[in-house]
Amino acid sequence: MICRLTEIVNPSGLHGRPAAQLVEAAKRYRSKLTIRNITEHGEAVNAKSIVRILSLSASKGKTVELCAEGEDEIQALEDLINLIDSGFGEI
Amino acid sequence: MRDNNHHEEMLILRGEGVSDGVAFGNAFVYRAEQYVVNEEYFEPGDEDAFVQEWEEARHTAQVELDTFFSALENGSSEGRAILDVHKSILFDEEIEEMVETTMREDKIVPALAVSRVFDLFISIVGESSDPLIAERAADLRDVRDRLLRIIRGENSSDLSHLPENTILVANDLLPSDAATLEKGKVTAIVNESGSATAHLAILARSYRIPTVLSVPKATAFINSGEHLIVDGHDGVVVVNPDEETASAYATKKRLLDKKTALENEYQDRKGMLRDGTTVHIGINIGDDREDPGYSSCDFVGLFRTEFLYMDSQQLPTEQQQFDVYRRVLELAGDKPVTLRTLDIGGDKQLPYLSLPEEMNPFLGKRALRLCFEEMDMFKTQLRAAMRASVFGNLQIMFPMVASIDDVRQAKSVLEAVKKDLDDEGCPYDPHVPIGIMIEVPSIAFIADLVVTEVDFASIGTNDLCQYLCATDRDNAEVREYYQSFSPAMLRTVHGIVTAFNAAGKEISICGEMAADPLATKVLVGLGLRKLSMNNASTAKIKMELAQFTLEEAEDVASAVMFLKTQKDIIEYLSSAS
Repeated sequence: MICRLTEIVNPSGLHGRPAAQLVEAAKRYRSKLTIRNITEHGEAVNAKSIVRILSLSASKGKTVELCAEGEDEIQALEDLINLIDSGFGEI
Repeated sequence: MRDNNHHEEMLILRGEGVSDGVAFGNAFVYRAEQYVVNEEYFEPGDEDAFVQEWEEARHTAQVELDTFFSALENGSSEGRAILDVHKSILFDEEIEEMVETTMREDKIVPALAVSRVFDLFISIVGESSDPLIAERAADLRDVRDRLLRIIRGENSSDLSHLPENTILVANDLLPSDAATLEKGKVTAIVNESGSATAHLAILARSYRIPTVLSVPKATAFINSGEHLIVDGHDGVVVVNPDEETASAYATKKRLLDKKTALENEYQDRKGMLRDGTTVHIGINIGDDREDPGYSSCDFVGLFRTEFLYMDSQQLPTEQQQFDVYRRVLELAGDKPVTLRTLDIGGDKQLPYLSLPEEMNPFLGKRALRLCFEEMDMFKTQLRAAMRASVFGNLQIMFPMVASIDDVRQAKSVLEAVKKDLDDEGCPYDPHVPIGIMIEVPSIAFIADLVVTEVDFASIGTNDLCQYLCATDRDNAEVREYYQSFSPAMLRTVHGIVTAFNAAGKEISICGEMAADPLATKVLVGLGLRKLSMNNASTAKIKMELAQFTLEEAEDVASAVMFLKTQKDIIEYLSSAS
């Protein structure tokens, strides 16, 4: 398993559409993918589930930890981190 | 609830106007179903059949959403964003697994399983500290209700084929309902629930449909087919208007449509005189809603913080305030935000603070004076503001300053707060500009002395006028004595602006005068280059600015300095424009 930290940079946070985009990206990979709100000491949840991502309350400025485990874990992790860092097209 | 036979009399309902404009039309009353789910169980062995029923419901829901998508192909991007989210929720793998597991283990029917699983997430998401995320609970409810309706075998309530000139009156309009509205047909929306930040309000504004939300019992008072007038600006709904009212609103609509069309051209422009001189346009805000108009202004000239204190049953905590200030600063981006510390006094009561009952509240323990007394409350606000300062471009402004002693005392409290933050290793921006409201004559007349003690000031014309003219601005009996165009007012403003401009310090105006087109030319002529107002007024003031040159403005300003009464000044300004 590999993990990386990053900060939420898009102004509206992981709410509606950004959360949907993240799920869509996560589902392209076979690896098990989890995400955790580090700032609020949250639990790691399934990154392929929009309701779990919404439950994170990951607004702008929060740090999240993404973990991937599986055959395509390196590519998956990089892809999701890039998506979050790109601000989902909001910035 | 009204009886169906008594329909002719006019009725006026009020709510929160969230999308501007006046519209006429015929009511279409739409009540979203409240699905009651019974505790129903099935016999062991029937699992597969019921799981299949659930899977079919999801498939039908997907077909419905896809149909909407294709209808929206050229529609609004906001509408598509909402439906994207709904599809993602519909095919959520955790929900799928949990629904199936509970059905198999607890032997409960699909409707019960769907409502249990969704309700769990609705309550988690609804409690998010981020209001934007919390509002997504409405989308979860939306998908849940769609599934429950499909399981009951009912067709969707189709709002996409309403007749022309329909005013939609609903108890709880869902975002997906609103997204499917046919733009040209629905002229206005009236809804029993919701507020300005709801998805529904955002959609209504993007569709430019006049909309009034939180109208209690609207669907009980209004029947389908009744004639309605909706005023989305003032939050008024008129049912069965009489002829007089209808013609008054027809005039209002005509004027509004014409004016809006003209002003809208100015909405996104910068404030600029005919000769190209720049005048910075600010907005006054009083909450942390997502877009009060940041995109079309240069700065926030007044961020009122009273809502934090008045909307709650106890003093807001430092963290609550910090979250709100940070949010506002982030939303405003790199635009300066002028946070005014608590401005409250004996005329408003706070349940958790025993404010003295005073004979003369506006001359009593108000604003800064109250803060000096309630030092913990004051420090808490300043701490929250300073901690938030690293997230944007903050300025702090003290209200109701009457002497240089007040300025110094307020600044020393702020210094103490900064020192505490230093000791705790808490980051803040050490260069936050510190300024004052100029609204008390005793500070207005020593503007040249106070200017060396502050980084900026903002003229609060409403209070300044009431103190200068010794007139309660809320007392209709003495309205004629409240003279914001009096020679004394203009000379006072002139003195303040001259002192600040000479010292090279920022001076702005944030009272109602800034939003009055009649005052624009003279204010610019007196030397003001920063006007801050409610967002609804920025377009009309930008339009006014574009009508004259700096030279013309200065001529007008020098001419009015010699006029002796407010009447003369108003007449002169009206003719000079």
